[in-house]
Amino acid sequence: MEALFELLFKYRPTLFERGSLGLGVSWPVLVGLLVLAALLTPTLLRYSRARGKADGRDRVLLTGLRVALLGILVLSLCRPVLVLSTVVPQQSFVGVLVDDSLSMRIADDDGRARSEFVRATFGDPDSPLLEALEARFKLRYLRFAESAERVAGVDSLLFAGQLTDLATALARARQELSTVPLAGLVVVGDGADNTDGALTEVLVALRAAGVPVYAVGLGRERFERDLEVSRVEAPRAVLEDTTLVADVRLTHRGLAGERVQLVVEDGGRVVHTEDVELPVLGEIGVRVHATASEPGPRVFTFRVVPLEGEQVVENNRRDVLVRVVDREEKILYFEGEPRFEAKFLRRAVDGDDNLRVVTLLRTSENKFYRVGVDDAEELADGFPRTREELYRYRGLILGSIEASFFTGDQLRMIGDFVSERGGGLLMLGGRHSFSEGGYARTPVADALPVVLGEAEEVEPKRFFASVDVELTPFGRTHGITQLGATEAESAERWGALPPLSIVNPVSRAKPGAATLLTGTVDGQDTPQVVLAYQRYGSGKALAFTVQDSWQWQMNAEIPLDDTTHEGLWQQLLRWLVSDVPGPVRVMPSEDRVSPGRAVELRVEVRDEAFVRLNDAQVVAVVVDPAGHEREYPVEWSVERDGEYTTRFSTAAPGFYEARVEATRHGEPLGSATTWIEAAPLTTEYFGAERRTELLERVVDETGGRFYTEETVADLPEDLSYTESGSTVKERKELWNMPVLFLAALALACTEWGYRKWRALA
Amino acid sequence: MLLVILGGLLPAAADFGPPDVPYENVPYDGRFAFTRLRFTPSRWGPGDYAWGLDLKWNHDYPRSDSHLSKILQATTTIDVALEGTDIFALDDPELFRHPLAYVCEPGFWTMTEAEARSLREYMLKGGFVIVDDFRGPHWYAFVEGLGRVLADARLIPLEATHPIFDVFFRIDPYTIHHPYFAPGPPAYYGVFEDNDPTRRLMLVANYNSDISEYWEWSDTGFIPIELSNEAYKLGVDYVVYGMTH
Repeated sequence: MEALFELLFKYRPTLFERGSLGLGVSWPVLVGLLVLAALLTPTLLRYSRARGKADGRDRVLLTGLRVALLGILVLSLCRPVLVLSTVVPQQSFVGVLVDDSLSMRIADDDGRARSEFVRATFGDPDSPLLEALEARFKLRYLRFAESAERVAGVDSLLFAGQLTDLATALARARQELSTVPLAGLVVVGDGADNTDGALTEVLVALRAAGVPVYAVGLGRERFERDLEVSRVEAPRAVLEDTTLVADVRLTHRGLAGERVQLVVEDGGRVVHTEDVELPVLGEIGVRVHATASEPGPRVFTFRVVPLEGEQVVENNRRDVLVRVVDREEKILYFEGEPRFEAKFLRRAVDGDDNLRVVTLLRTSENKFYRVGVDDAEELADGFPRTREELYRYRGLILGSIEASFFTGDQLRMIGDFVSERGGGLLMLGGRHSFSEGGYARTPVADALPVVLGEAEEVEPKRFFASVDVELTPFGRTHGITQLGATEAESAERWGALPPLSIVNPVSRAKPGAATLLTGTVDGQDTPQVVLAYQRYGSGKALAFTVQDSWQWQMNAEIPLDDTTHEGLWQQLLRWLVSDVPGPVRVMPSEDRVSPGRAVELRVEVRDEAFVRLNDAQVVAVVVDPAGHEREYPVEWSVERDGEYTTRFSTAAPGFYEARVEATRHGEPLGSATTWIEAAPLTTEYFGAERRTELLERVVDETGGRFYTEETVADLPEDLSYTESGSTVKERKELWNMPVLFLAALALACTEWGYRKWRALA
Repeated sequence: MLLVILGGLLPAAADFGPPDVPYENVPYDGRFAFTRLRFTPSRWGPGDYAWGLDLKWNHDYPRSDSHLSKILQATTTIDVALEGTDIFALDDPELFRHPLAYVCEPGFWTMTEAEARSLREYMLKGGFVIVDDFRGPHWYAFVEGLGRVLADARLIPLEATHPIFDVFFRIDPYTIHHPYFAPGPPAYYGVFEDNDPTRRLMLVANYNSDISEYWEWSDTGFIPIELSNEAYKLGVDYVVYGMTH
């Protein structure tokens, strides 16, 4: 199409886009043409009035054809020109940015690596493209991957960069060449950009500076056969022996119907395998469960066994760093009455070293029985009355305890425990729970994931129903409700559990809530919500509406060695307190980096009531893989209350332990630890098809042009016609465009043919 | 001599059947319902069921059971079924919906293999058993029966400082003597998971004691109220402990 355009209009469309149209005729000639037109006007009028066999329609048509023909003639006589800015040879510079990352090694061009094009085109002095460019411009080369540097040429490139930061590369090139007349930048690469670089800002700056960016896209836009572990979502920290639930997304090209084996490894030890059939659609999500049994920083590997003929096999595995924590999480369980649910709940988690359920049991009015407290002072006055006291716990379970037991401030405190402190709240079914406990319109009701009826809607007569509990589709894959090694086994186990009972009819979950278990109640059309949760502020709240889950332990049909009840409660409470922050939190900008890269540590500091503090003294101690410690001051970021930051650089591969301690006026506020792994990354092999869309965005926003290997020959000429660099105005004649001659010929022939057809003179 | 003559006039032992004990269990609805276990008593005296008059397991029923239920309702926050109590055989699957059970006169209990297996599962799963009203030589039959339920079970003496005697009321159980007669002072024994006193208490036995006797007659003035109070306190402690530990 472009060649046809060039044949008709003499020049390529790009030149018309770049230039402006004008007339090359001089004023005297133009005046002469106008005089000639004035003289011809009476003739034309006479021509139009001429009568013969022609009717009105013939005259209009023939006049139009003749006027158009004359118009072309007049236009040609006026010497139309295309005015272009053209660089002055060897006075302008072009920056050539070459992608030096690992993905350039991918051999997806008929077995030829992407890097080979770079060497053949920019490394060979006899390359026609290089000759054409060097004839017009002074070339300056930059390599880019994680960073960007000036290089003498492409011969020194190793194509071993583990990340690609396009934004930094463009900004660096602009900076490097800011003092010379720059005709434009040429990016040669596959369009990978796997950092969080501020590309938009860089493009705006380049556009403002009038620097067009041209891009030469390498590699295939779509592989023929490839399978990729495109994403793994797993918690960054779990308690020891917790079932780790990870969402794995597999993406494939041309492998529909093939069966692959998904393998999960913990530090090289296989902990889970699963067969997956690849769907017709290009991707599938798989939820896998694996037990995190070893404490400390653990690398979990999710990999699929490579299939024959895959384009890239390095993208068949992803590593995820998980912090497996061996600590005891304290949960406060407040129960309003002695009942078997309390006994069996505590017993279910009794063997779990990472959970400690501190029980406050109201045995009679204003009489409490405490189990599992640290000392005689803990909960001595009953339910906590201050935030400092309540926020010591990471989770809170409310049993059958009516809302009126609490003061208004205590109810608000419970709501804040979830939303501000980030704790986990669980309400159990019971005669004094949910609506029956008078929680409607309280701050606790706001936090709960279910809709509570108003007091007047609560049945005055005691409600009781047997309920057959069922998994929802969401519950089939959720970590809390996994009762088997596989989803199928788990679903089968759920189907075999005996019914429980409810005294709180709860049938509506809130719009943002996730329902894991529902229940069928005889005579009730709407299913009972049995287990649901929602995020609420910084924390989460669950509702477990049955009153006797202990029957899954005691029921005569349940085998003695069955661990369903224990497993369910341990999973539920572990999930309840997962990700619940302490007063001091530390978060690395990245938890896996290539050796040598810097890591930012972001620290949040709060007091016992979880009020953010800006006047804390915070220190980070980083222990490198060799065991050497180095201390870094952590400063308040100013941008946010209670947020402190520092940076450190990795060097050797291995785990870096970052321990953060915060004090205030000499008093310790808390500490936190995180790990960062420095290791060779394979990020470059993911999403490794050519990202034309990104490259086109870069060129569109800066006024450049996108090329492939097939079209790159036009690059030198396109670069020449630019407003940037040292330029002169060039006028290209258009009067002799073939399209004008062809149009005139077509008009003349049409008139002749029409006259012949209508038998006119 | 008169007794011998009268005894010789009695019909053969097999002619006596069990006495009728009419009862209707409370349907399960999640509330605490006092649960009593029934068993076939061993033969004692002339004829089965002591001339067809005595079941042993039902001693003090129903007054003691309903009286303790009312006391529980009045003194604690336990949601108690007051309209009745439950009686279950040792191997009744419905027993497993009531993880706290009371056994009276275990010195006379017998059990089939299925009953022993069921009671073992009940206790190991989490059930809590209160054994009461036995003394003197009844010990041997109790221990023999317990051995059939849990072959390795050891009866470990419970000190007065054990938490079960302080969970709701602080009491000294050794001051609660048998209301009528016993060959020795009261003694309290426990059976723990894995015979480990730091683990869960599965069974508590009141030897040389009969606290349900106090519960039964507490509203009549037959027994001094101070003594009945102590027996109630012990019963409340047992129930609160059994429901929470």
